[in-house]
Amino acid sequence: MNISKLYISPLLIAAAIVVLLQAACCNGKPPEPVPPAGEIAFSFQHVVDDKPVMFDSMTYENAAGNPYMVNEIQYFLSDFTLWRGGKGLVLDKWEDIHYIDTDLPNTMLYNPADEIEEGTYDSITFVFGITEEKNRSFMFVNPPESYMFWPEHLGGGYHYMKLNGKWRDTNDVVQPFNFHLGIGQTYDDQGNITGFVQNYFTVHLRASSFKIVNGLTTKAVITMHVDEWFKDPNTFDFNYWGGHIMENQQAMRAAIENGHNVFSIKFE
Amino acid sequence: MSRLKVIIPVFLLLSVLFWGCPNTNPVEPYQPTPYTIDIPKGFPTRLNIPKDNPMTVEGVELGRYLFYDGRLSGRTQPDSLMSCSTCHVQSSSFEAGINNPRFPGGIVKGLNGVATHHVMLPMINLVWNASGYGWNGYIWPENPNPNLRNIEDMVYAAVTAKNEIDGDTTRIKTLFQSISGYPELFGRAFGSDKVTFKNIEKAIAQFVRTLISANSKFDKYLRGEEQLNQSELHGYVLFTTEQGADCFHCHGGAGNPLFTTHLFYNNGKDTLFTDPMDRYAITGKERDIGAYKATTLRNIEFQAPYMHDGRFKTLEEVIDFYSEGLHNSPYVNPLMHHVADGGVHLTPTEKTDLINFIKTLRDDSFLTNPAFSKPDRFPDDYK
Repeated sequence: MNISKLYISPLLIAAAIVVLLQAACCNGKPPEPVPPAGEIAFSFQHVVDDKPVMFDSMTYENAAGNPYMVNEIQYFLSDFTLWRGGKGLVLDKWEDIHYIDTDLPNTMLYNPADEIEEGTYDSITFVFGITEEKNRSFMFVNPPESYMFWPEHLGGGYHYMKLNGKWRDTNDVVQPFNFHLGIGQTYDDQGNITGFVQNYFTVHLRASSFKIVNGLTTKAVITMHVDEWFKDPNTFDFNYWGGHIMENQQAMRAAIENGHNVFSIKFE
Repeated sequence: MSRLKVIIPVFLLLSVLFWGCPNTNPVEPYQPTPYTIDIPKGFPTRLNIPKDNPMTVEGVELGRYLFYDGRLSGRTQPDSLMSCSTCHVQSSSFEAGINNPRFPGGIVKGLNGVATHHVMLPMINLVWNASGYGWNGYIWPENPNPNLRNIEDMVYAAVTAKNEIDGDTTRIKTLFQSISGYPELFGRAFGSDKVTFKNIEKAIAQFVRTLISANSKFDKYLRGEEQLNQSELHGYVLFTTEQGADCFHCHGGAGNPLFTTHLFYNNGKDTLFTDPMDRYAITGKERDIGAYKATTLRNIEFQAPYMHDGRFKTLEEVIDFYSEGLHNSPYVNPLMHHVADGGVHLTPTEKTDLINFIKTLRDDSFLTNPAFSKPDRFPDDYK
């Protein structure tokens, strides 16, 4: 056997590789053009009377005339949806539940991974809290989200929000308040729970038209106007409702009705 | 063909030569066995394991020896022995225990007879604690001081503190280097027979991270293996309702099975605050004056005395305090929303039910798990 017959020239090998690569790459169709797309990033801020919250300071007065302070705010916003021509694009799909904690700076930014088609969008909506479909007990096992759990016998899932602070009552005593919102309950005359009420709501932001530009990140600042929780249409009086409302659906409903005016947005 | 005639014999010759060489490197390569923590259902998946101290079977084994070896004090006289286990007693859920004959009332003292500044904290499920160690959280992962970040640093603090083991690290290293069997264990765990104090810290920290409690009656209830009785169930409702006892915001529940947030609260014990080692000492924020870590309630019945200063001797005293003994102050945490009324005002039956629920967090398997217990013998056969 003449071994030289088996000797393959490098030129032939190179030619074979080129042919194989071409076969692998070209299926006869031209590559689909990638539509121009950009991203959106949200940051969050919290104000009272349009100024950044001064935490731990008894400097505010709510619409009911209660002097109050804010110690911390922890809450979920979810289902961020971009609207254009009547069609909504939900960001991040099932993972779209963002936790915000005024004690944790890293929660003050939310950068959805989505590549968003370039163009002008009409508005943004999001859900305050978590929808009934998604608000499942035990879905968050890691803190800080897991610390937001809402007891199963009160409806389960997670707090929509913990807004903790203190107010000065009519006897001039400073009392804590836990303005906590989540699934409400209905009770019979004996105090037994007869049903649950989903208190989450969709926030429709006014003046939230914006542009997505190819290759750029549009920056949106979402502001919570804390004082609005106590203002309109219901004047929320701590002296009337007390310092804890998780088991008081009437109080939670009053708060939720006020919630529609709580958020605003601007683009940078 | 002539090329092959040359290449093949040369290849065969080289192969024989290499295979025939005696092994001149008898040291086994450093190949520790990864230690996997089985995360119980519902527990956090994020673990506090630093990148520079991955868990290994060999590291945990060494750490267990060191945890229990009284020579960790760097001394060998019988009256000068002290290790972690001197105070952290497994049968008392790794606390001293209120009936500890050496530490009456569960108030621990160091080798030189001086009591620690605060009472002990539970050594349970610390692999899930990333919010700080110590009653004021002075050791935490993001600490700018790299020597005060994790359990490893807690080991250093305990071994060297004057009111704890009061050890000298050089003396300790030298002693363990001289004890038969230990250098080999260090070699298997860390790739070097040379005993370093860093590796002592790492090994003990690895062992401590294995101390997991997740098999209480309440865990079994959540897994559907056991049922709680009426009193316990009612106690759980009280535990998790604002109009009940409202323990859950700080101490967890089914949705937070650690039974702590590992955060820091002024829970209304006092109106005057003079402790220089409260949370305020760490953060400088007024809201943290008089604030301390919320402890886990797992195995809490074994962990008297209670509160940072051990002021309460029984669970009943603790419940009485939350029921009618709270003190309002500018620094009390807002989650103590019953403070203006002096507490949550439970009836005697409610107090009983609440305690009965809290006792469902007792985990006997944690108290007896042989993997956590003192080894029968130390590496040099020392008992």
